[in-house]
Amino acid sequence: MKPPKTVRTHEASGGVSRRAMIESQIERILATEEELIPTSGFLISVMERVQEESAVPHPIPFPWKRALPSAFLFGGVSGWGAVELMQSGLLKLDLAALNAFTLAVLHPSAAPVSSAESAGWVALALSASVLSLLLSRRLAGSGGLL
Amino acid sequence: MNASISAEADLADVDSVLAGDVRAFEGIVRRWQGPLVNMAWRYCRDRGRAEEMAQEAFIRAWRGLSHWRRESSFSTWLFALAANVYRSELKRFPTETLPLDAAPEPGGAATQQRTLETQRQNEALRRAVLALPLRYREPVVLYYFQEMDLAAAAHTMGLPEGTMKARLSRARALLRQRFPHLEGEFAQVECFALKTGKEVTN
Repeated sequence: MKPPKTVRTHEASGGVSRRAMIESQIERILATEEELIPTSGFLISVMERVQEESAVPHPIPFPWKRALPSAFLFGGVSGWGAVELMQSGLLKLDLAALNAFTLAVLHPSAAPVSSAESAGWVALALSASVLSLLLSRRLAGSGGLL
Repeated sequence: MNASISAEADLADVDSVLAGDVRAFEGIVRRWQGPLVNMAWRYCRDRGRAEEMAQEAFIRAWRGLSHWRRESSFSTWLFALAANVYRSELKRFPTETLPLDAAPEPGGAATQQRTLETQRQNEALRRAVLALPLRYREPVVLYYFQEMDLAAAAHTMGLPEGTMKARLSRARALLRQRFPHLEGEFAQVECFALKTGKEVTN
């Protein structure tokens, strides 16, 4: 049980201000509240909830250490891809600025180059897919999911 | 309850819980259910809700037991956690309170009804605390609760002692303005104390 909080009292005959007297009275009332006794089922209901909480398995923490290299790789590849796309976009803009005659001349010779570039992109995309598949299998395997 | 015994028991129970013994938490609940329910009661003055809020505080304590850094006592940590829970609960679902000006002030007590009138007056004042703005209400609730002194109440709220003192003073001033006739009651209590030779304590 709590120890009683002593409220300072003032002598009635003293020159204590009215304000101080009222505040002392307020203090006395606030400090003397009766205590509630929790209902008999309170402890049981708390422990039931605690048991429920403890029965729920803890969430699996995200494996940041293992995922970070993949994230960096993905970021790097995406960044590189974005730069490549921008450059090719700029090239297209430059080409559009040229006249139709120049385009007609360029087109036949550019066709083999274009298909070679596409093949490179396809190979890169396939490698990235295989790499991400292998990484995800490894992560899942070490987490006991496979 | 002996504070040092309680502190040792708390420490032992916390260690047991962290080692995987769920039932050891029962000792903590058993020791602190009274204070936490009473603290919640002072926040909302609704018995049913007080128990719900206290239960939520115990669950949060259970979840966060490993975060207790043991720099302060377990009770200080528990009360600070409970105060946070109660504060956020009351923000989500505020208690229905009258404005401070509308809090009823009981009239002068007749001799034969003095006890009843005093009880009514005291309850009116305690309910008026709920009508205070939260920044003033919480210091009053915590300071006059349990064994908290100014430093403990300030620590629980995460405030400097000076700020806590200023807020308490402002809260008392607001209550004094609302209950200007408490002086008469005070004088009666003083007379009784002088006649019986007792100091007025709670």
